[in-house]
Amino acid sequence: MKPAPFEYVAPDSLDGALAAMQQHGFDAKPLAGGQSLVPVMNFRLAQPGVLIDLNGVPGLDGIWQTSDGTLHFGSMVRQSRLERDPLVAQHQPLLAEALPHIAHPQIRNRGTFGGSLAHADPAAELPLICVALNGRIKLQSTTGERWIAARDFYTSLFTTDIGDEELLVEIALPPLPAGTGTAFTEMARRHGDYALSGVAAVVTVDGSGVCTAARLVYLNAGEVPMVAEQAAQMLVGERPSEEIWLETAVAASQNEIDPRGDIHATADYKRHLAKVLTIRALKQAFARAGN
Amino acid sequence: MLKSQSVYRIDAPGKVTGETMYAGDITPDNLLHGKVVFSNQPHARMIAMDTSAAEAVPGVVAILTAKDVPMNGYGLSGPDQPVLVGLGSSNPHADISRWEGDHVAIVIAETETAAAQARSLIQIEWEQLPIIGSMEEALKDAVIIQPWHGSNVLKKYQIRKGDMAAGWDEADIILESTYHLPYQEHAFLQPEAGIGYIDDKGRVTVEVGGQWAHEDREQVAHSLALPEEQVRIIYPAIGGAFGGKEDMSLQIVLGLAAMRLHERGINRPVRIIWTREESIFGHHKRHQATVYTKWGATKEGKITAVSATVHMDSGAYAYTSPKVLGNFHLMVTGPYEIPNAHIDSYAITTNNVPGGAFRGFGGPQGAFAAETQMNKLAEALGISPVDIRLKNVLREGSLLTVQTPPPPGISMAEVVERCAQEAGWNSEQYSGNGGQSPISNFRSPFNSIQSLPGNPQTLRKGRGIACSFKNVGFSFGAPENCEAIIEIHGTAEIERVVLRHAAADVGQGTHTALKQMAAAAVGVDMNLVELDMSDTATSRNSGSVSASRMTFMAGNAIRGAAEAALTAWASEDRPAIGHYKYIPPGTEPYDAETGVCMPNFSYGYVAEAVELTVDIETGHIYVEKVVCANDVGKAINPMLIEGQIEGAVVQAHGYALMENLVVKDGRILNPYLSQYLIPGIKDVPEIVQSVIMEVPDPIGPWGARGMAEMPFLPLAPAIVAAVHDATGVWFDEIPLTPSRVVAKLREKD
Repeated sequence: MKPAPFEYVAPDSLDGALAAMQQHGFDAKPLAGGQSLVPVMNFRLAQPGVLIDLNGVPGLDGIWQTSDGTLHFGSMVRQSRLERDPLVAQHQPLLAEALPHIAHPQIRNRGTFGGSLAHADPAAELPLICVALNGRIKLQSTTGERWIAARDFYTSLFTTDIGDEELLVEIALPPLPAGTGTAFTEMARRHGDYALSGVAAVVTVDGSGVCTAARLVYLNAGEVPMVAEQAAQMLVGERPSEEIWLETAVAASQNEIDPRGDIHATADYKRHLAKVLTIRALKQAFARAGN
Repeated sequence: MLKSQSVYRIDAPGKVTGETMYAGDITPDNLLHGKVVFSNQPHARMIAMDTSAAEAVPGVVAILTAKDVPMNGYGLSGPDQPVLVGLGSSNPHADISRWEGDHVAIVIAETETAAAQARSLIQIEWEQLPIIGSMEEALKDAVIIQPWHGSNVLKKYQIRKGDMAAGWDEADIILESTYHLPYQEHAFLQPEAGIGYIDDKGRVTVEVGGQWAHEDREQVAHSLALPEEQVRIIYPAIGGAFGGKEDMSLQIVLGLAAMRLHERGINRPVRIIWTREESIFGHHKRHQATVYTKWGATKEGKITAVSATVHMDSGAYAYTSPKVLGNFHLMVTGPYEIPNAHIDSYAITTNNVPGGAFRGFGGPQGAFAAETQMNKLAEALGISPVDIRLKNVLREGSLLTVQTPPPPGISMAEVVERCAQEAGWNSEQYSGNGGQSPISNFRSPFNSIQSLPGNPQTLRKGRGIACSFKNVGFSFGAPENCEAIIEIHGTAEIERVVLRHAAADVGQGTHTALKQMAAAAVGVDMNLVELDMSDTATSRNSGSVSASRMTFMAGNAIRGAAEAALTAWASEDRPAIGHYKYIPPGTEPYDAETGVCMPNFSYGYVAEAVELTVDIETGHIYVEKVVCANDVGKAINPMLIEGQIEGAVVQAHGYALMENLVVKDGRILNPYLSQYLIPGIKDVPEIVQSVIMEVPDPIGPWGARGMAEMPFLPLAPAIVAAVHDATGVWFDEIPLTPSRVVAKLREKD
């Protein structure tokens, strides 16, 4: 199918883009990589009156590090660049690890960091990674700008805290504390499809190997990236062991996620898979934290 | 003499450059656009239909309904399906929609948009009838779906051979299983598309993708009540078929549209292109089936008796189900000599999507049951799966369950031995780990798929083997022949040779192989051969591209035509024209009581060995290697054969592991390729090793046998055997989705 008729605006500056957002407000959708928006428009699940194309807006495609070690990303950075960027690989290996799981290379060549975050698909990898890494998101409009924690950004299915006139312009990922290890894993029925389940683990250990902080976040397990707070807390104060990973994985998969059964797998299987993947992710994250 | 040669496909340059025209690409001036209106009713009686709002849409040219169809019933097994379900036609049963994919109207308009808009405005009042969505329900015969037939058992066959009581007595082991086989969607690259018009000789002409131009012509002529000469079918390039284009999709409705428009003084071509959703919704599937079976064997591994009951869901209309059931019935005992057999097979009418032709034609379902039984017996008796097969396979002089021998050239034992040898699998080497020991030095297959290595403690490696045979050509007494015309042009020397033939090149490369054979038969270079193909106006009946038959049948027809043309050439005829109709040895239908018959005139033989890894925690299965030994008799074009083997393996891989058509209460719930998963490049087996064997078929052209379906048959049972080897668990139902695998493995624990 083809999309419903829409107006197309191609601003050549951020100010122009923000002005267009202000002018068209609720009726407008910013177009980034178009890898989710265009298909839903073709299915007519979305029928924006105006498309504001950000591809001609300069200054949104940078990756830079500030003195406190935080990595900053313009919202239009392509996913394929994140996948290959040496700064990302060095400072945010979790992000680099998750990237190859996003669909196929052709899609990552067009798809953007900010576009995926704003689309807010709970089965997508980038929202989960941002939540797991305590990422912050910068929203800007003609009247000002604000930063919001990724975790607070997601409110429900495909829904975020972004205002009608706001643009997502930047993402900031703080440096990982010393002694931190990360891991991401997921399983799809077919390579490149949305995963049946997936988990990011971020753990920090002290000099003696005791866990001081832990975070577990799941995709395709609820309406937003699902943070298993209580389960992760079980790790704190403990030394890593097969037993504690299993207990944590059971608690997280039973109590803190809400996967739905579909034609590909039962909800029961998805919980089981989340448990298995949690153990694998924790094992790997702790191994990396130790190094 | 014919030399095996991997010449490039003659259709490749056009397809690679985009010059090739598929039916949906043909865009003449003045084109009208059509949409098929589906009933969306698995079982309902039409009370009234109002097309007035639709007709009022600007740009709508015509809306055709049941009353516009001269003979409102068609079908490859008899005219059981209305062309258009509705009121006022010649067919008293046409007021009932028996399948959600039944057509109720054709909307013809100036634009696709107008046609689609009009389609949405057609108002139909239906009286709901009970939807029979399962074979169990259908067998009660409480609701008869086809009243003209009087029962929901569309077809039954039986086999009675030997003395069952004696057979069970001789057995040291009796093994009983129930197998469930799923639907499969053809998922060809090109969804159905076509164009209908009146040609310069006044013939109703349809250009469309199909598998048998002359059968299409017969079906169109019948439905339009025209003599066959008044109908012309042309096949432009076809993007895959696999049996899914054997039955009618757009052929009749396009012919109907052209004819009715012409009668109204509108002489404009009409084109219809189905979307993927319409395609999945609108054509038949591989049959879902249940097999209840019991095998007895001596402790040495000799089969003593087999009983089986086959239930095959043929859906709302017959399509080719009676013939598919015939094959299934024969294949359910595998390529083995079974001394005592008692088989009852039923094709059952339901309100589900019709089952029909699909690569293997009932063979894969039969092979799954037979080969899994064989592998279970091997395990239970502690005999290698290779050895137990060699003790039982058909050999020269063996009798089938239908009590006649297969034709000479039986290579099953050689094929099994070769496959085992190429796969490094002989009885000494064989030792499955039976799910006991994890693989320590196993290289993770996940690479790009998994960021984390699987837990090595949960990876289990296994291997499995299976073998099959499959008929070449039409079976059980169906009329079987193939015609070819060869013209030799020149004066003193042969300057060019023209082959006129109806064979459909559905993507398998048959035109290339036919050209090679024509060159060999006349004794000229391939460059001198010109083709005039797949047009009923110029070529004679070839029969379908199905049943792995075209190389065999056309090869023999071409040899005959070439001989006749060369004789004419020697008599100074210019051009020298030879026409030949090849008729193979006759076959016979099943005897109603005992099943005794001569079922087929030729077979192909195949064996496959699989190596795979199961992640027992996640249930994911990674197939590392498939070795396929396939006896093709004579490899006309080895490269095309490898393509067929690899394609069949990938398609069967999907059948075994991924493809899951969800049909509930007569409705397909996932008619999308985003929801019905076929394997992608990173899901298919890492290595497919094609072992092409050449044991000549004595009556095949240059010894060739058919081969394109065969590699599909053994893969699913070989995978199931390998999964058992890896985990110690037998799976009697496919596809082996992760969810299903984990659930079953947990049952074991």
